[in-house]
Amino acid sequence: MSTSWSRRRTTYALAGGLTALTLLTACGGGGAAGSEGPVTLTYWGWTKGTKQAVDAFNAAHRDTKVRFEEIPSGTAGGYAKISNAVRAGNAPDLVSIEYPTLPEFVSQGAVKDITPYVTPELKKKLLPQAVQLTTLGGRNWAVPFDAAPQVYYYRKDFFTRHKIEVPRTWDDFRTAAAAARKADPKARIGTFFPDDPTTFEAMAWQAGARWFATQGDSWKLDTTDPATRKVTAYWQGLLKDGLVHTHVSFSPAWTNSLRSGGTVGYLGASWGAGVLKGTLPDQSGAWAAAPVPTWNGRPASGMLGGSTTAVTKGSRHAGAAVRFAAWMSTAPEAVRARVASGESSAYPAATALRPVARQAFDTRYYGGQDVYALFDAAAASVNGDWGWGPATSTTNTTLKDEFGKAAGTGGGAGSLADAVRAGSDATVRELRRRGLKVMGR
Amino acid sequence: MNAKARAAVVLLVPFFALFVVVMVVPIGYAVWLSLFTEQQSGLGFGGTHTVFSGLGNYTAALGDHAFRDGFLVLLGYCALYIPLLLAGALTLALLLDSALARARRFFQLALFLPHAVPGIIAALIWVYLYTPRLSPVVAAMESGGLGFDFLSPSGALPSVVNIALWEWLGYNMVIFYAALQAVDRSVIEAATVDGAGAWRVATAVKLPLIRSSLAMVALFTVIGSLQLFTEPLILNQGSGSAVTSSWTPNMYAYTAAFGRNDYGLAAASSVLLALAAALLSFFVTRLSGRSARSGRSGRSGRHPSRASGPPAAGRPVRGPRPPLAHPEGRP
Repeated sequence: MSTSWSRRRTTYALAGGLTALTLLTACGGGGAAGSEGPVTLTYWGWTKGTKQAVDAFNAAHRDTKVRFEEIPSGTAGGYAKISNAVRAGNAPDLVSIEYPTLPEFVSQGAVKDITPYVTPELKKKLLPQAVQLTTLGGRNWAVPFDAAPQVYYYRKDFFTRHKIEVPRTWDDFRTAAAAARKADPKARIGTFFPDDPTTFEAMAWQAGARWFATQGDSWKLDTTDPATRKVTAYWQGLLKDGLVHTHVSFSPAWTNSLRSGGTVGYLGASWGAGVLKGTLPDQSGAWAAAPVPTWNGRPASGMLGGSTTAVTKGSRHAGAAVRFAAWMSTAPEAVRARVASGESSAYPAATALRPVARQAFDTRYYGGQDVYALFDAAAASVNGDWGWGPATSTTNTTLKDEFGKAAGTGGGAGSLADAVRAGSDATVRELRRRGLKVMGR
Repeated sequence: MNAKARAAVVLLVPFFALFVVVMVVPIGYAVWLSLFTEQQSGLGFGGTHTVFSGLGNYTAALGDHAFRDGFLVLLGYCALYIPLLLAGALTLALLLDSALARARRFFQLALFLPHAVPGIIAALIWVYLYTPRLSPVVAAMESGGLGFDFLSPSGALPSVVNIALWEWLGYNMVIFYAALQAVDRSVIEAATVDGAGAWRVATAVKLPLIRSSLAMVALFTVIGSLQLFTEPLILNQGSGSAVTSSWTPNMYAYTAAFGRNDYGLAAASSVLLALAAALLSFFVTRLSGRSARSGRSGRSGRHPSRASGPPAAGRPVRGPRPPLAHPEGRP
């Protein structure tokens, strides 16, 4: 008995010990800030090509040096790492945060209010929808880096060979899915990712849903609006009829299916162009991109992820940090270095830099298609009404849990509608627990 | 203070110093954390302030069906896993110990080998073997007409039990086998001379003699099961399965702390889990103590010194200890 007890205690001990250690380090670190000597900033992120962009910054600047450290992507553990570091007081000056999670970090008090440094000139350079997503409670909390409109990637060779038309509407998508399956019983033109609610949310967003809204100082959650119901029923139907695959996003199973031709389409975002290129180098020339299907044929898109650069609460160099973040988002050299790294197809939130990114992006993989022109159209069609709530990690964790039950890789028992309802209920509970007001529930 | 007392103090101080620093203080810190919660105001964008909430986190955890469901999952897990583990390990050990066994060393090693694989790696291997359209096992089963969704809501529990069995069966088999090796051969010879067959020897002679190891393995397994974490976490994060992020109480605490930044709730649920483990181990010790005592009466002739020792008050005197120490709490 004592052995097992000590195991439990060891867990506490380890946790406590680590906390103590990090606290100690925090007290020891930091040091004097100020004007004398060059400022060294630390930066945690994971987006492709960041290292190359940081190197370009360091090469061009003498007064500020940036140390970049690559961390796991947000939902794969990066966010936990950041918030623990902030809590322990040893966080870097700058961190990458995606739009959906930014309000969560703001509400925890983990990032700094950078309103004084976000000048009107800087704002003017950026996509208005992106600026809006980083403006919460009338203050600015991060510098938008990219916009991530949803687009549809498909295997052009497969679609041509079987004379399947590239879907323009969701009805077309269903028809095309059935046709693809008929042509090749193994082939599916899309995937449902039970582990990735953001793809689903992007589609609800596109359909005109607005899950999180505010009125006065109260939150208003609505996930049972007609748009969400439409999207939910549509995907439930695709799943029921076996018209899409179910895979964990970016898992070996998904990659394997893409490689073997079992999956011939991908509902991704602008950054997905680089991911496909990096994941499936031998399918160069076989892929093409199209606008994401819409409900009525008129262009519309949601955003799937997209990252910002935020300054952490404890940073002593907020001014320099925002200058660096602004440089990363708006300097041509930064975007050129990043996209030229090969695996990045970042679509800058800074509108003036799009030609730079387009030029730096090697389009041979897409048979010379001007994918950036496509991103332009998609970004312009992003519905500006959507905003994220301050408890997105609760929303998304619950959705992920429930999607796993309702439509997991091992088959499901339950409905997507129940999953969405559970996600909304959990979010309301979490907001109330934090002492926030939620209306009409 | 005489020299003996001084020596005792000198020898004990390092232990108690470490004990306080790495055990008492962190547990106290966890209890302290569990008494506070973080509140926000307005729309929540003004940061947080910490307020004392008394037992608020405890009632929140107990009131959350996800936390309570975690205990139900554990109950189901124990009900499925413990009988299978004990029966399987015992059968293998008895087979190895019987006269029928060949290549004992080889089987001992082969059966123990999975235990040398770290839990995370084991879980990752099994996720691969469970994933439809990726796993050769699932493909083979489907072509044989034996479709089973390992990652579905009904398949998740057996899948986790299977991983745990794979990891721990050989380990516990070694414990039982070692205990069997310690059984006095003359007792077995006497039983054989009296006409007992192999089956009778196993059930009527060997089993009662290793009852204390059985009780010990049962105890460790029960407590270890309460802390079920690694395998389901991998199944949750990497497979898109029906295993949720709060599938077991330990995962609930983990998600509260690292997913939602709710350290108070995480601390409270950890303390509750620790209390549950303490209660359970108390009852299992009492129970196994009783059975060990009744089991010992049969062999008091072999251990006159033990039988005539002072009566154990509350704490049972164990039978012959298996030669292999149990280094971990998670069999």
